[in-house]
Amino acid sequence: MEEEAREIRRREANWSFIESQPPRLRAALKYYIETGDLYVASRIAGLTIEEFNELRKKAGIPNVS
Amino acid sequence: MSLSGFAIADTCFLIDWAYWRYRDALFKLFKTVFVPEAVLREVKSEQTIEWVATALARGYLALYTETRDEIDFAIRIVERSRLVPGLRGVDLPEALCLAVGRLRGYTVLTENRGALMAAELLEELTGVVVWRALEVIREALKRGAIAGDPEQVFKLYEEETKHRFPHSELEAILNELRGKA
Repeated sequence: MEEEAREIRRREANWSFIESQPPRLRAALKYYIETGDLYVASRIAGLTIEEFNELRKKAGIPNVS
Repeated sequence: MSLSGFAIADTCFLIDWAYWRYRDALFKLFKTVFVPEAVLREVKSEQTIEWVATALARGYLALYTETRDEIDFAIRIVERSRLVPGLRGVDLPEALCLAVGRLRGYTVLTENRGALMAAELLEELTGVVVWRALEVIREALKRGAIAGDPEQVFKLYEEETKHRFPHSELEAILNELRGKA
């Protein structure tokens, strides 16, 4: 289940969008792809959870749960 | 539904749930859905804030201020989740919801995988009911709080929130709902 969810996030992510982001946001998006953990990813990004969730959508990363 | 008719929701659940058309169906399943105060600091969009504020005003949502005992219990859950092999670590915000679920009998609404695993695997959380949007929509369909073809309803949620339900779990629920029809 964990691995399946990670694969979906990796596959559907817009990698060119992710790579174009500033380092902090890029690292947070990659962390989210690997773990699916919105809370920690938002802290890495320095955003609120909802702000990070909007960034997740822009990056095409599905929330698998 | 929990015996109390109460639920407690974390931010991860609410921010997606607030973005779909049947969001008020939640209030047909629970007397009150509590939100920890920290959740308000995490929502920023006009759409979510308006929905939360309106529901607070109508009494469908209520603020939850945690007690010292609940925080202590939540910290123990955080620690335990990092000691049990195979269990994904839980952080304090979702651990707090789990603690309230255990101590007050509230249904816990979250999309956090670690919280779901902790409720299944930690002895301290025996009996805690954790629902994701997947289970909330299932219950809403079963009880008639949402009408329509179940497959289309779940698909709408995925489209409107950019959420993805695990295929096998969604299939199991659709079969269950078809069996009841």
